[in-house]
Amino acid sequence: MRRLGPDDDPDRLYTVTGGRSRAADDRTLDLVTLIVSECEPAPGMQSEHVRILAMCRRPVAVVEVSAELRMPVSVVRILLSDLLDTGKVTARHPRPVTQAHLPDTDLLKEVLDALHRL
Amino acid sequence: MPPPSRPQAARSPLGDALLTLPAALLVSGGLCLWASLTAPDTVSTALAWCGGAAAVLLSAAVSTSVYGLRLSRRHLADADAVRAEADAVRAEAELLADETLPALVAQLRGGASADTALGRTAQPATAAHRRIMQTLAVEVGRGERMRAAAMSACANAAGRVQALATGMLADLREMEHRHGEEVLGDLLRLDHSTAQAGRLADSIAVLTGARSGRRWNKPIAMESILRGAMGLISAYRRVQLHNSSTAAVAGHAAEGIMHALAEVMDNAASFSPPTSPVHVYVEEAQAGVVVSVEDSGLVMSETALRRAESAVSADTLDLMSLSGTRLGLAVVGCLARKHGLNVSFRPSARGGTGVVVLIPQQLITEARPAGRPAARDAAQDTVHEPVPAPGPQAVRAPSEPVAPVAPSEPAVPATPPVPVAPPAPAPPTVPPQAARAAAAPEYGESGLPKRRRGQTLATTAPSGTDRAPAARPAPPRPARSREEAAERFRTFRRAVQGTPGDPPAPSPAPAPARPEDDIR
Repeated sequence: MRRLGPDDDPDRLYTVTGGRSRAADDRTLDLVTLIVSECEPAPGMQSEHVRILAMCRRPVAVVEVSAELRMPVSVVRILLSDLLDTGKVTARHPRPVTQAHLPDTDLLKEVLDALHRL
Repeated sequence: MPPPSRPQAARSPLGDALLTLPAALLVSGGLCLWASLTAPDTVSTALAWCGGAAAVLLSAAVSTSVYGLRLSRRHLADADAVRAEADAVRAEAELLADETLPALVAQLRGGASADTALGRTAQPATAAHRRIMQTLAVEVGRGERMRAAAMSACANAAGRVQALATGMLADLREMEHRHGEEVLGDLLRLDHSTAQAGRLADSIAVLTGARSGRRWNKPIAMESILRGAMGLISAYRRVQLHNSSTAAVAGHAAEGIMHALAEVMDNAASFSPPTSPVHVYVEEAQAGVVVSVEDSGLVMSETALRRAESAVSADTLDLMSLSGTRLGLAVVGCLARKHGLNVSFRPSARGGTGVVVLIPQQLITEARPAGRPAARDAAQDTVHEPVPAPGPQAVRAPSEPVAPVAPSEPAVPATPPVPVAPPAPAPPTVPPQAARAAAAPEYGESGLPKRRRGQTLATTAPSGTDRAPAARPAPPRPARSREEAAERFRTFRRAVQGTPGDPPAPSPAPAPARPEDDIR
C-alpha cells in the first residue's frame, strides 16, 4: 500500500474536474493531439487551466500535458475540453501520413538489416 | 419569697425545686406557728388551720416556680450551645462546598487518582463530611477514568480509520492514473466516499484531541485548500469557488483549516435547498485571509447564530454539547482554537447564512507551490534542457505514443540558449574555442575525461596547473571566465536554493559554455 506522501497535493481529482469522469462531448483528443493556447491565463482561473495555457504557448501533446500536470490523461482531456469549449486553446491533430509518403517496406527492411550488421 | 438555696450545686431543676420545698415549708410554717401563738385564742385555731394551708400552698407554688425557672434557664443555655454548634457545622459545610470539593474535583479532573486527590486536599473535621468526600472522590475518579478510556479508545479507532482512509486515497489515486477512462468515474466515486469517511475519522480525532490525519511539508495554495475542503463533503458539486488569491497556508495548519472549512461548507450545503449553490469567496485582508461561505438556505435565528458562535468560540470543548448527529460546529470550534482561526456567523446577503473564517496572517505564507510550477514551465519554455526532470520523464514512460513527439524536443534545446547572452561582446566566438581548448586536455592519464578544479579562477593564474599550452591564449579568457563564473555561480545557487531566481536569466548560460559539465 502506498502512503500519501507529504509532497502530494491535497486536491482530489473529482474536485479538479467538478465531478465529471469524461468530457461532455466525445471530441477526439487522442494522446498525441497537439494543444496550442490561444490566450494568456487570466486571474481567477483554475490553476490547472493556467498551467495548461502557460505550457501550451508552443504546441504540446496531450500526453505531455498530462505528464506535466501529473494527472491522468482522462482528467486532462476533461480540462482540455473545457478550454476548447471556451476557445482558449485549439487542438491540432497530427496529420495522418498517407501511404504515398511512406518509404517502401523493402527499403526499411534493408535499412534494418544494415543496422543489424553494423 | 425564699431565695433559691445553692443554685450552683443543684444540677437538675427538679433537685432545686425539692430543696426549695422544705425551706419554704419551714419558713411559712414558722410564720404560721408564730401567728397562731400570738393571736387571741378565739381565732387561733382557725388561724392555725388557715395559715397551715396557706403555708403548704405557698411552698408548693414557690417550689414549682423555682422548678420552672430553672428548667427554662437550662433550656436557654442548651439552645445557645446548639446554635453555636450549628454555626460551626454550617461553616464547615460551606468550606467543604466552596473550597474542599472543588479542589478535590480539580485534582481528579487533572488526572490524579482518588486516593492521591484525597491525600492532597485538606480533610474536613466532620466524619460525615469525610465520608462525603470519599464517596465523591471515588465516583468522580471513576467517571473521569471512564471518560479518558472512552476518549482514547475513540482516538485510537479514529487514528486507524484515518490511516486506512489515507492509504485508500493513495491507492485510488494510483489506480486513477493507471486505469483508463472507463473506470475513472467509479474510481472517483470511491475516492469521494473514502475522502468523506476520512473526514469523519478526522472529526472524531479532533474531538478526542488526537492529531489530524495528514500533515503537509510544504505550503498549500489557497485553491488547493478550498478544493481539498470541498472534496471532503458530499455535495461538493454545489460549491462554487471564487478565488483569485495566490496566498498559501502553512503546511502544518493546512489539513486543519481544510477540515474546518469542509465542516462549514457541509453545514451550508445541508441547511440550504439541495439545488442551490454554496458560494465561497476568498479575500486577502490585513489580518489574514478571509474565507466566506454563503448559502441561500434558511436564515439562522438570532439565538441560533449566538449559539453557533458560542459553540465555535468556547474556550474548551464541552462534550455535553455534542448532540451525536451534528458534530460539525464542535469540530470547527476545536480547530479554530488549535489554529487561532476566527469564525463568525452572520445573515447572508443571499438570503441564507454566511460564515466568515479568518485565517490569521501567521499561517499565511508565500505561494511557493503556485510559483514553482510557473518557473518550471518558464524554464522549459525557454530552454528545453537536455536533461529533463526525472518526474515528468517517469510519468511519461508508461505511455507508448511519446515517440512521435520526442524528436521535436531535442531539436529545440541546442539553438535557443545561444541568443540569450547578449552583454558580452567577445563571447560568441571565444566560448566554443576556449571550451574545446579546456576540454581537450581534460582527458587525463586514465583516458577518462577529467574536470579541472578551479577552472574559473584561471583569470588569476591563466597558466593553469599542468597543461600550460592549452591555457596559453590568456587575453580573451579573463572576460569569458568572469562571465562564466558569475553565470555558473548563479545557476549553482539557484539549484541549491531551489528558488525560481530572477526570470530574465533562466538557465541559458551553462548549457553553451560547458555542455559536458551539465551532462555529467
